[in-house]
Amino acid sequence: MAGAEPAPPAARVLRRSVGTATATATSAGLAFAAIDYLGVVSVLAYAPGATAAVAILIGGLIVLLVAGIFSELNGLYPTAAGIRLYLGRAVGLRTSLSVTFTYMVTVVLVIAADAFLIGAAVRHVLHEPAVLAYVWIAVLLGVALAANLSGVRIAGWMQTVVTYTVLTGTVVLSVIALFHVGGTFHQPLNLFGRGGFSGIQAIAFALFLYAAFEWVTTTAEEARTPRVITRALFIAPVLIWVTSTLFALALAHLVPYPSLHGSAYPQLLLGQAALGTVGEVWMLGLTVLTALNTFNGGFLVASRFIYAAAREGNLPRQFAWLNLRAVPWLAVTTLAGVAAVVAAVVFATGQWLLLVAVGAALEAGIYAIAALCLFVLRRRETRERPFTLIAGRPLAAFGVVLFTVLFLATGFSDPKNARHFSVAPIGVIVVLAALSTGYVLLVVPRLRAAAAERSAAARPRRRPARPGAGTPGNDTPPVDAPPVEAPPVESPGTAPQPDRGT
Amino acid sequence: MANWDELAEALGDYTITCNTNERLRKMQRDWSRVLHFVCEDNGVVFTMEVDRGEILATPEGHEGTPDIVVTTHSETFCDMFWGDLNPVQKYLRGEIKVQGSQEDVMRLDAISYVIWPDS
Repeated sequence: MAGAEPAPPAARVLRRSVGTATATATSAGLAFAAIDYLGVVSVLAYAPGATAAVAILIGGLIVLLVAGIFSELNGLYPTAAGIRLYLGRAVGLRTSLSVTFTYMVTVVLVIAADAFLIGAAVRHVLHEPAVLAYVWIAVLLGVALAANLSGVRIAGWMQTVVTYTVLTGTVVLSVIALFHVGGTFHQPLNLFGRGGFSGIQAIAFALFLYAAFEWVTTTAEEARTPRVITRALFIAPVLIWVTSTLFALALAHLVPYPSLHGSAYPQLLLGQAALGTVGEVWMLGLTVLTALNTFNGGFLVASRFIYAAAREGNLPRQFAWLNLRAVPWLAVTTLAGVAAVVAAVVFATGQWLLLVAVGAALEAGIYAIAALCLFVLRRRETRERPFTLIAGRPLAAFGVVLFTVLFLATGFSDPKNARHFSVAPIGVIVVLAALSTGYVLLVVPRLRAAAAERSAAARPRRRPARPGAGTPGNDTPPVDAPPVEAPPVESPGTAPQPDRGT
Repeated sequence: MANWDELAEALGDYTITCNTNERLRKMQRDWSRVLHFVCEDNGVVFTMEVDRGEILATPEGHEGTPDIVVTTHSETFCDMFWGDLNPVQKYLRGEIKVQGSQEDVMRLDAISYVIWPDS
């Protein structure tokens, strides 16, 4: 019975730990990527003019429920492996694995989308031929790959500075655009009623603007106290709400929607409309800065997940190979390769809004599953947690229904025409989920069997037998070790040195 | 439940295995950390001091301010230091709890992986 488990150990003082400001910056930085500028355009497609602000506000209020759900789950499992743990305990190990694999696809999509969007933006500002955009994409991914393979990490303080620079820079330009250019915002109500408001889709896409803010829970192990993550989960959405709302209003105020609809760089159009070339370069600078957080955070989260999955026996063990910088080089290289291919497909087809729709639907789906986990674990895990969501079970049940509806709303939306429905986003998700589930059901058991065989054949237990004990030095032999006779004690320092991964 | 003597024997073997592994020493050459370990079943605590990849000491008790704190059952620690279990599996099941940066957590597992690739 999980409820009988001991409470997690009290937080100790670490030499280096993360406080509220850094955790909030991490959360906001992971959420506010270049794709968010496009996300605002998607919101405007369903909520024209200032009604977009209403949709973003409602999305923000819903995100507070998500923050509550993740705060309680994170309090129960304050670890980078938290998602695997609470999914596993709520819905079973296989389901948890397939959901987590699908979740990681979102990370790859965001990396690919950002590479594409930044490449397109740089090409636009430099007035280069369209085809050169892919060269910039390749350069960006190449730099990110090289930095990751070299073990280069953006320090916490730098990540904080970058995040607050991007948010503040976007807010300042939006305010300039609203109050010092044109002047029609002196009659803000004029911004309402510029078209039909489609509530469900508008809110679903607004929710996407906050997507990934919950990834900050993967830093739970380095937080000064468990409450640091909770605070970050509630503060970061407020920062994103302010930034996205002002940006959406500024866009609605200055840039005609038809020119936004076909553009991969709406932020540059706003910069140009507000301050000419200076504004365009300003927004380009901010767009490139978002890449630091996306590539640093995205590569790190996804590659470490792949490494752990390979070490656990759920992915081919080659993905755990390490280079001399202790970086899982095959995992990182594969991520960059897949992102490059996805970005190439987006570049060739021009379907960048489809990525937004797929990302929005996947995120809503993840929130529905998280709400389900809380609903189930409220009954199974009765131990004390640092944060308890008030009316947790009813709110979790409400969350399951709400996020499922939002998942379907975005899953069937037509990214290119707000008045039509499309099966393209849900089709992509179904294919991804089917691949992930098929892999978990068919391939994982074979990998695990092979790993068990290797482990059993490789060498017997090293731990010497405890005097007078029947089994080697243990009350209960670990499940990971094969039940074999106690070997003669190997002389120290003679363990085989692996020659791999370099 | 393993006592301090058994843990010390395991730690002794682990220290020699790590310090004599050239590839590991190269990989961890920029890694200097203080690790605290807590046995949640019998209250035994100990420290590991690592300087540029070399394990300098593993005394009983907690010394210095830690970069990483690892908490689990004493038997799990013993098996882990003897290389008889895969720490990642225990970690992903929530049986090993760690406080510290993600990078340090991975480095810690990387040690076991490099010295016992088939664990």
